[in-house]
Amino acid sequence: MITLGIDAGSRAIKVVLFDAVNQTILASAVCDQGVNQQQKAHDLYQQVLKDTQLNNSDIAAGIATGYGRHLLDFCDTTVTEISCHAAGVRYHLPEGATIIDIGGQDSKLIRLNGDGKVRDFVMNDRCAAGTGRFLEVVSQRLDVSLEELGPYAQRSTNPAQISSMCVVFAETEIIGLLANGQSLENIIAGVQRSIAKRLVAMAGNDIAAPVVFTGGVALVSGMKETFEELLQQAIALCPQPQFTGALGAAILAAQKKQKETNE
Amino acid sequence: MKTPPAQITLQEWASRYDSLKQQGLQERFYGGPLSRHVADGDTRLLHLKLDNSAAALGLWNFLLSENQRLHQYRSNGGKIIAAMKDLGTVPVMAGSLENLTTFYPDGAWWTPCIMEQNEGLFELAARYGLDESYCPVRAMIAAFMNEEHFPKPDAVISSTGAICDDFSAIAQRLEHLGFAIHWWEIPHRRKPDGNESAVTLPGGFTAPASQVRFVRQQLATVRKQLEKVAEQTVTDAMLSEGIRKANRFRQLLDRVRQLAYTAAIAPIGSLEMLIAEMLALHFCSDYTEAMIVLEDFLQEIEHRIAANTGIAPASAARVFWVNPVADLRAMNLLEDCGGRVCGTEYLFSHALDLIPEDIHPMEALAQIALADPMVGSTLDRAQRILRDIRRFGAEGVIISRIPGASHCAYEGKLIGAAIRNAIDLPVIEIEVPTLSDAAEPSIRTRMEALIETILQRRTS
Repeated sequence: MITLGIDAGSRAIKVVLFDAVNQTILASAVCDQGVNQQQKAHDLYQQVLKDTQLNNSDIAAGIATGYGRHLLDFCDTTVTEISCHAAGVRYHLPEGATIIDIGGQDSKLIRLNGDGKVRDFVMNDRCAAGTGRFLEVVSQRLDVSLEELGPYAQRSTNPAQISSMCVVFAETEIIGLLANGQSLENIIAGVQRSIAKRLVAMAGNDIAAPVVFTGGVALVSGMKETFEELLQQAIALCPQPQFTGALGAAILAAQKKQKETNE
Repeated sequence: MKTPPAQITLQEWASRYDSLKQQGLQERFYGGPLSRHVADGDTRLLHLKLDNSAAALGLWNFLLSENQRLHQYRSNGGKIIAAMKDLGTVPVMAGSLENLTTFYPDGAWWTPCIMEQNEGLFELAARYGLDESYCPVRAMIAAFMNEEHFPKPDAVISSTGAICDDFSAIAQRLEHLGFAIHWWEIPHRRKPDGNESAVTLPGGFTAPASQVRFVRQQLATVRKQLEKVAEQTVTDAMLSEGIRKANRFRQLLDRVRQLAYTAAIAPIGSLEMLIAEMLALHFCSDYTEAMIVLEDFLQEIEHRIAANTGIAPASAARVFWVNPVADLRAMNLLEDCGGRVCGTEYLFSHALDLIPEDIHPMEALAQIALADPMVGSTLDRAQRILRDIRRFGAEGVIISRIPGASHCAYEGKLIGAAIRNAIDLPVIEIEVPTLSDAAEPSIRTRMEALIETILQRRTS
């Protein structure tokens, strides 16, 4: 049985095909999000089918997740990214007790039960200050690519204090720091710390180990280390963190289909 | 055959109304099709899902016709009291007098939602210096000024002291604009010191007897003010009868809540329950009609429970809701996402509690005023919420926040932490603006995730 998971996030669309019999990932693909989300997701899905020489009829079930999930009418149903990330992490790192997931416009801390199901979660407010969007804004403002943010941050000797809880205000602070001659390295390290501190504060003291880091921002070098420093514990990076939500969706689709078949 | 319970659109209500009329629906003087309210500007109704019962029709018509009733009341020679901030004491006192009715101008905070901001209240409030950094209650000041949403009252009475900063600023600005306000002070409720005599208040909070005495003195000034406006004396016996009347309503509402929140199948939607609970504040300016509306509502709920029907499947996630929302549409979302409401705390639990009838009426009123969840500590409030979560068997909690509202800016985190620590339920916080259309995907994601979590926990 092959199932489909699509994570239509705010920043990117991710597709995963999952072989439920062998419990393996058959294929994955990603593209930037756009105005016509449904078409983009559909095109990406069709491309993956073509690349794997499969047809629509080979796909037993599909689940959409992410912000655009309700637009994807070619999937059977929708599930939120919280449940999907839990399922995706369970696949890669079943021992995980806490998930840190930072995507394009959301940051979440997901607490899991012993069986890998969601026990509770906290999410950022509507503001994008603790999310990947914040890093993008900083990257553009400082003319440093996302890939270079980590190496810059690692060279910091004294991370700047970014106090704002709002992306717009934080950008103003960054302009102020630049005007004061603060180095790019210290500013970038300060931004990474501010994102991590925001999420840790949101979670309170309830962050059980092992902690797994997932979502697109997990790809930004330096973020994992920043969390480790703040939490004073090792953090596992989920393999292919950008695809965790889509993978979880595909796994949940397989479980749902299996349950329906059994019934 | 009786039409099964459903949540329907306003367009669907048009044919539903015709059908009910054909079946012999009898309406009160404020009855009529709901579409007339849209013609009056209440366009948000077009985006809500409304319960399809005759009882819900009566509830909505009663709510949305308050302005006309107030004008009618005045033209019949009655006096109108605007009771501000305290949610549950002054209307009980005013209701003890024959020729007084009370309304709740703070309720104008929902007008920009119901009228989808086409009425210009926020813009007008901004002209008086109250911009969007203030709570949506700022709409009240504009409604006072343009007199389009309620008549100019004969007296304005407002509590002060342990009230939210925003409201304090708004009320003070109102007074500067020429509306004389009779202020009465409500102190921050504190736990009695070891050597102080303590009073257990309705609802279970405690306060020092000295605070109750102080509030009683403050309410004595309110009593005098009411007598002045009514041009008659309020005897203790009249106050006692006013308390008994209020308690009859509160008992009825408690029955509604108990049934609606504990039934195996949700008999009624969270939106109509919110409106019904709000009636407790001031009876929507007409005690007699409020009782009739609520009795009909209760009867509908009882019928549905007896028939084992409702508006959500039995498997719906049982959610406790904290704080009222600025946009009523958010309530519909809960059922859309697979949930149902099982308990609420909308910041006025003292308006739901029975007022003691076995003590002096002024003492009883002082106690109920001090039982206000907003005048005590957040942890007090959290304890009350925890008690009701257990009472109604909720499986998860939504704490909603109102942009700009100072009283709940940080409370949500503390209440959420208290719930997690005490009973380990999943909790989400959502911010619901006056018109939440643009924020809906984000709010929906949080609600859906909460409901998925609740369902997963059932099988864990």
